[in-house]
Amino acid sequence: MKEKALKYLEEHQSETPSKWREEAQWRKENRDWLRYSQRIAILMLFYMKREGLTQAAMAERIGCTQQYVSKLLKGTENLTIETIAKIERATNQKLMAFDA
Amino acid sequence: MKFDKILDNGSLWAVRYEGDDDNALRKVFAQWNDPEWLWDFFTENMADLESYFKITDLNQAIYDTIDDSGELECLILDISPDADLDLLFRPLENSRTAEMTLGKEKARLQNRPAHASWLRLYAIKLERGCYIITGGAIKLTHTMRERTHTLRELSKMEQVRNLLLENGVIDNDGFEDYLHEM
Repeated sequence: MKEKALKYLEEHQSETPSKWREEAQWRKENRDWLRYSQRIAILMLFYMKREGLTQAAMAERIGCTQQYVSKLLKGTENLTIETIAKIERATNQKLMAFDA
Repeated sequence: MKFDKILDNGSLWAVRYEGDDDNALRKVFAQWNDPEWLWDFFTENMADLESYFKITDLNQAIYDTIDDSGELECLILDISPDADLDLLFRPLENSRTAEMTLGKEKARLQNRPAHASWLRLYAIKLERGCYIITGGAIKLTHTMRERTHTLRELSKMEQVRNLLLENGVIDNDGFEDYLHEM
């Protein structure tokens, strides 16, 4: 059965390559900072839902574009310290804490 | 329906459904890493999370999903060519012990601390050590038939299985087994 099945699958392979492996490798290599980015996205979502804010309204509070808020909410942005500080100020909450 | 080879030796494949720009594997891992998608999913399914897993913190559910997704994805990413995929995939029905022609299978993380993992990858088993991934889901209920999103995964498995049967991918022995199961 395997040979027939493999022949069928080979003959019906997608015409364009999948991006899964490349993306999975990227997620693995960048896992540590991605966790921070995803946590910030979740905290922003929580704040926006609680305050009933749209992405445009959130963007206005942070001082950026709605498109950038949309990117932040995907949890894949490598944010600058300046952006993190702006989000903290806009949401009135600490996103990152440091031990002395 | 098209197919993507996940492992070069042809032991693992993923389905690319009509109209999709990539395969089912990429789609589920993209969803399981997307805070917005996860927020919407758990908001909609909070009652199941509470009743089946006793978890009331939506944020925690999202963090756990992302962590588990990372573990599961790395498992697949790091599969060596001589790895035994039968250790990763198990029969969909916990009670099934016998081999089934083009059986429906699932993969999940084992021994997760705090609570069982709710992430599932679904596949059709071509034969020992050879699988086609059909999709995946966040399974919060006891059975797949209880919720639309898991029922949809059952239907996708059936669709792929039927396609393979209709296209004669099983030989005479396999076909006799299939008739026996009917």
